[in-house]
Amino acid sequence: MSSSDVRQGDKAAVVAQGQRTPKKERQKQFLRLLTPVDSKQTAIYGVLGAAAFFLLWEVGHYLTPEESRRFLPSPQHVVGTLIRLIEEKNFLADVGISLYRVIFSFFVATVIAVPLGVFMGCFSNMRALINPILSGWRYLPAASFIPLLLVWFGPTDTQKLALLFLGVIFFLVALILDNTEAVEKSLVEAALTMGANRWQIVMGVVARAASPAIVDSLRNMIAVSWTYLVIAEIVAAQDGIGAVMMRAGRFLKVDIIMAGILAIGILGVLTDIAFRLLAYWMFPWNRKRRG
Amino acid sequence: MTPQSNAAITAQNVTRKYLGGSFTAVDDVSLDFPEAQVTAFVGPSGCGKTTMLRMIAGLEDPTQGSISVYGEPVLGPGPDRGMIFQAYTSFPWLTALQNVEYGMKIIGIGKAERREKAERLLQEVHLGHAADSYPSQLSGGMKQRVAIARTLAQNPTVLLMDEPFGALDAQVRWEMQEMMIEIIEVEKKTVIMVTHDIQEAIYLADRIVFFTRNPGRIKQDIILDFKGGKRFPQKEALLAEPGYIDVERQLFAWMREEIQSG
Ligand SMILES: Nc1ncnc2c1ncn2[C@@H]1O[C@H](COP(=O)(O)OP(=O)(O)O)[C@@H](O)[C@H]1O
Ligand SMILES: [Mg+2]
Repeated sequence: MSSSDVRQGDKAAVVAQGQRTPKKERQKQFLRLLTPVDSKQTAIYGVLGAAAFFLLWEVGHYLTPEESRRFLPSPQHVVGTLIRLIEEKNFLADVGISLYRVIFSFFVATVIAVPLGVFMGCFSNMRALINPILSGWRYLPAASFIPLLLVWFGPTDTQKLALLFLGVIFFLVALILDNTEAVEKSLVEAALTMGANRWQIVMGVVARAASPAIVDSLRNMIAVSWTYLVIAEIVAAQDGIGAVMMRAGRFLKVDIIMAGILAIGILGVLTDIAFRLLAYWMFPWNRKRRG
Repeated sequence: MTPQSNAAITAQNVTRKYLGGSFTAVDDVSLDFPEAQVTAFVGPSGCGKTTMLRMIAGLEDPTQGSISVYGEPVLGPGPDRGMIFQAYTSFPWLTALQNVEYGMKIIGIGKAERREKAERLLQEVHLGHAADSYPSQLSGGMKQRVAIARTLAQNPTVLLMDEPFGALDAQVRWEMQEMMIEIIEVEKKTVIMVTHDIQEAIYLADRIVFFTRNPGRIKQDIILDFKGGKRFPQKEALLAEPGYIDVERQLFAWMREEIQSG
């Protein structure tokens, strides 16, 4: 058979294949780009993902040799421990103290970061003055402040609040500066041509326009604040979720440690939801229209 | 050029340089804008139309020369010169009605008068039905109507527009142009508009200033005599007007010269 015969044969095969599937349909793919899922699907996927996680955990628990199983307690055991802590060990008081520490320190950070970020975002010379000295701090891990804060404040509540504050403030300023600078310049120019003064523009235009993005930044940064909580409550703390976890660690009570982790996770999700609701309620004009 | 007594705006030997003086965007432009005249700035992109308009608005300063409005030198932006941008500048956190009220609030008009005038102006731009909608719920053309009403609400003596309909599709642009004719008839303001749409310039303007680039200078300054002072509520009536086609052909010829000169 000559090479030209082979080529002809190939062509015939291609044509034949084309005839076998005359009607072409768009392929149904599991992973499809640019395809949104509706809220029902989102819920189903979410439950599936969580179920898979707990199943893996459960399997891990039973695969662990009998004698060391208490180092990987089952999910229902951890949930049970959490409930027992609440009922018998007044755990909600510790939760309350941790919640207060995160929220109060974050509130103080917000009250400072929002005006500062907006101010720097509006006036480039103020940005040039303040930002260089401020941005370097972001590269220092918050934990490195612990010795200093202990010397300054002792093993007090103030020391914990200060650590949580330092953990987020520099990032918060940087994010809010970005949010402010992202405001369309044409909005400011429109206000200028209408005769608005600087104050009216900073408060009434730039801050207003940036506010949904700012609330988003706050929502993301409060998650970071939760991640610092255990660090803040590990050293010289008598109360709070982190302190409970530390004490449990000394007696190798893994179930209590995991119950603490679970509690922080739940609280973190709740603060996230709170910020989402806040944004929904504060910015009716910014609600995404669902397709 | 000596300033005419009836000029609303006078630009004298205005030059604007960028990049530390190494690039001249507008070069020694002198223009008078008589009261209630509608002028269109036309020319290839980059010829300094926007720069010239922004200097009249007071958003930028001339490097040399001066601009005055009714004899007062322009030292910054102000509500006597309303500006409409190509970008949608209605404030997203305010409803259409609140947007129109915003400008009046800035210049200290009382609440009752504000509300009443804003409602009337929204009718004037055919947007009465959408008074309580947020800009995110409005189309591009509707957002531009809000911006126009908001600017008119301050009762500026001068209306500056920088390609206000440039981002709209053809049909909406046409509707907006016919609406502008109504507004020009009612409000009788001194208008300067930048456009790259030759037909739009001829339809809306009494006078066309054609710019050339590198550096930005006036190439031609023509009065559209063929319209005989008429304004056409319907655009097709203009196209039927004797003399229209000659002007359009002339403008295309100038534009081609500009393109070919690089
Ligand atoms: N802020 C600026 N810095 C440097 N160059 C600029 C600036 N603004 C405009 N230019 C330049 O000036 C020229 C005229 O710009 P512009 O007035 O926007 O033109 P047009 O509106 O006619 O298209 C362009 O070449 C543009 O690149
Ligand atoms: Mg332009």
